[in-house]
Amino acid sequence: MSFWFWHGLKKGVRSTHYPRKFESAAGVSPGRPVATEFDSATEAVLAAANCPVDAIVARGSAAEVKLERCIYCQHCHYGNPHLLEWNSDYEWTMAALGPGKYQPLPGAYHRSLHVMVVDAGDCGACLHEVKQLNNPLYNMHRLGIFLTATPRFADVLLVVGPVSENMRVPLLKTYEAMPTPKRILAVGACAINGGVFGRAFMSAGGAASVLPVDLLVPGDPPPPLAILHALLAVTGRKNPVAQMASLEGNS
Amino acid sequence: MIDAWIGGALALFFILCACGLVLSAATRGVYSLRAFVVFSAACSILMMFSSAVALASGHSFAIDLWRLNGWGRLSIRLDMLSAIFLFAAGLVYLPASLFVRNLVEVRFRGRYPTRRYGVLHFALMASVVLILVASDAPLFLISWECMSLLCYFLVNYEQSARMDVRAGYIMLVMSEAGFLAVVVAFLILGRGTPDWSFSSLAGMAEHLSGGAVWGVFLLGFLGFGVKAGLVPVNFWLPRCYTAAPAVFVPVLAGVTLNLGFYGILRLDAQLMSNHSLGTGLFALITGSITALVGILYATTENDLKKMLAHSSIENAGIIVAAVGASLVFHASGYAVAAAIALTAALYHMVNHSVYKTLLFQGVGEVEAATRTREMDRLGGLARLLPGLSVVFLVGCLSISAIPPFNGFVSEWLTLQSLLRSAVLLSSAVKILFALCGACLALTAALAVTCFVKVYAMSFLGIRRGDWRKVPGKAGRTQFPLAYLAVACLLLGILPTYVIPVLNRAVEPLAGASAAASLVPPFFTATPENQQLPPAFVNDFHNLGAQTGRHVLPGRGLVVMVRGSEKNPVVFAMSTSYSFVALAIFLFVTWFIATRSSRQRSVTRHELWAGGIPRLLPEMTYTATGFSNPVRVVFQAIFRPNIVEDSRETVAVHFRTAILRRRDETHLVDRLLLHPVGEAVGWLARLLAEMHHGRLNAYVTYTLAFLLIILVLFRLS
Ligand code: SF4
Repeated sequence: MSFWFWHGLKKGVRSTHYPRKFESAAGVSPGRPVATEFDSATEAVLAAANCPVDAIVARGSAAEVKLERCIYCQHCHYGNPHLLEWNSDYEWTMAALGPGKYQPLPGAYHRSLHVMVVDAGDCGACLHEVKQLNNPLYNMHRLGIFLTATPRFADVLLVVGPVSENMRVPLLKTYEAMPTPKRILAVGACAINGGVFGRAFMSAGGAASVLPVDLLVPGDPPPPLAILHALLAVTGRKNPVAQMASLEGNS
Repeated sequence: MIDAWIGGALALFFILCACGLVLSAATRGVYSLRAFVVFSAACSILMMFSSAVALASGHSFAIDLWRLNGWGRLSIRLDMLSAIFLFAAGLVYLPASLFVRNLVEVRFRGRYPTRRYGVLHFALMASVVLILVASDAPLFLISWECMSLLCYFLVNYEQSARMDVRAGYIMLVMSEAGFLAVVVAFLILGRGTPDWSFSSLAGMAEHLSGGAVWGVFLLGFLGFGVKAGLVPVNFWLPRCYTAAPAVFVPVLAGVTLNLGFYGILRLDAQLMSNHSLGTGLFALITGSITALVGILYATTENDLKKMLAHSSIENAGIIVAAVGASLVFHASGYAVAAAIALTAALYHMVNHSVYKTLLFQGVGEVEAATRTREMDRLGGLARLLPGLSVVFLVGCLSISAIPPFNGFVSEWLTLQSLLRSAVLLSSAVKILFALCGACLALTAALAVTCFVKVYAMSFLGIRRGDWRKVPGKAGRTQFPLAYLAVACLLLGILPTYVIPVLNRAVEPLAGASAAASLVPPFFTATPENQQLPPAFVNDFHNLGAQTGRHVLPGRGLVVMVRGSEKNPVVFAMSTSYSFVALAIFLFVTWFIATRSSRQRSVTRHELWAGGIPRLLPEMTYTATGFSNPVRVVFQAIFRPNIVEDSRETVAVHFRTAILRRRDETHLVDRLLLHPVGEAVGWLARLLAEMHHGRLNAYVTYTLAFLLIILVLFRLS
């Protein structure tokens, strides 16, 4: 005879308490590089030169980070003399149009948000992290967030991948098929600006080049809690963090 | 007075029939067609008129014609049973006559002589009426034979393919075999009869022995069952309906099919009133099996016409099952239950004629407009033929027994009367009734699937085939179709007015009034009425059963059967009230919806199809795909022969295309036709062995035969 209910009761609640409490268990987030003050301007320039995708910008003796460009190669974290400081949080969703320029969905969506995920040429990493939201640890259903298979029921379009040429039209069609009001999330460096693919003959270079993206979730891939933070930010239950650098240079 | 009206109408009918026949043969082109339409419509109106007068007055019309040497008098009698069938025939013939014009113009001109069609049509009409009013065996059988032959000619009228000609032959053979069976049945029945009128035959039936009763019943049942499309003698029906011209199929399905039921009722229910339980059960079981087999093949069939033919078989099964139930109740002495079951059968018969004519004409229209009947190639017709799609939808709703349309009332009554088997004593019979009821319930459910498929696959969605709409005037055909659609609705929402009319035919057959028990007189209820105590009426008054009593004529609007003290209502329903409620709800919903959405803006984008760049017709849900679950679940019945050819391969394990063929043999063909054919072939081969063409052998045969004869003579 199975005592699954007894085992369940004995184990207790294992789901994360985020967003009620900050989740600080080891390994929930890879962290992120943050702006670091160096001793001299030369050191800052050397630190910036270490980044393969120009996500680090030297400004005087400080090295600033454009997180939306970062591909999380961790080059500025390990094994070179000019390391940046790393912050271990995960609330780094930002508004695509600039700080404070995001209009959250109204209150009716707070406990009922339906998300349509479109894999627009994703390598599988971001998709895998999105999938984690369904597991018992992150359990997004407790927050009233659900995945849906049809755009007719969807409020949020979650795009992963750099938008390959084959997925450009389906992505547009999905957006058109969604009822208003709707919001678009670009999850992962690729969906933000093409990531390592950039703009190429078969890559549109991010969702923003096809659709009016509302929120960006940097990371390559972003951890599940970062995506959860973004989904909470969609309805205004959390706020997008102030943007760390403008997007103009990319698109 | 009434006699004069009916007699005059019938006489006028035959005169107009003759005029129509002559005129459509003698004139040419447009004039021939005009004569055809006018006379045919007038004839069908006269059919309806004479029977309506008879039904309204409750007065049977009878007249003696002349004497035939050795056969007795030929006589005509329009009794209530004939009147109902005659009315149904007129109801079908009217739109069928008007409909001819459109199709003949589109399809026949220049290819087939319309004049010949007119001659055959009027002759068939006259013989149908003669069958229905004949009141003696010779006249009945002669007209029956005429009808069979004319049907054969009309089915073969448009023969274009070898299969069509074969279908015609199969039909001819089957109807002749059925005719012979009926003749034998009459001969057994009338052994030693003074004359061959139905009344004296009914007198003879009382002296039949048990075996003879079974013999007459089976011969008549299977003989007439050929026309009615009963398993196992219906294998001609789908082939022949598919081959028959579109103008004639409605008549086949709406008129000649009914003649089969008419024969069964006349011979097996009226002439032979001394039934055993067994004959009724036989009819019930045959009917249920027919219904199930019919609908199974209808659901999986993708040719519109063939699908409707299989669905005709299904409906015939339902009707015969109700007749069988009625016979069982009658034999067990439950006259009221028998009357209710028979009413259900007649009601379903009328309903089936109306909606099947509608559907067949609709299919004729579709075929005329698109030149195809394949559901897998059609699609999106609703935008192309909006008027047709509405009336076709009404037909589909009716046939799948969705209230408030007519199919619901009669199928509901049939199922309810099968449930009445609770009163029967024998538990074996009860179990059989329960099984047959389950069979019919499954049939009803499959019918819904079938017609959802028909409408959705051919009228909704996008166009799948490469056909193009044939230009033509569609307006003219809308009238007959709309007329049939309205008839479907009226028969559905006014059952309490239809049942008393049917009851006139049912009462003499079953020996009890169905109307008295089915339609309680809520409108005319008086406190003195013993059958309807005031307390009971009061309860129902609160439910609204007396709404409209001061405005509407008739007994009431509720169909109900009352039970014992413990269980006061056995079953009850009112499509009339539910129709009104439905209309009100729909209106209120529409009103609120339009009111509340006035300020909103609506954005329309193209259909969501999974984000694919272009929705190709091949990607949409096909008719085959829709009915595949049925095909898989009932594989034991279909027994398909699946051949898989995977010839297009790059390497052994790398297939680029797989060709999968699926051949099916119809159940009846498989179990009856092919074994019989093989047996005949075997016998023929055996005989051929003896005929090897040597003279010596033949002489030996003769000699041996002579010797045998001589020995026999010697011995005797
Ligand atoms: S982790 Fe990000 S910021 Fe650091 S070097 Fe790699 S891409 Fe640049």
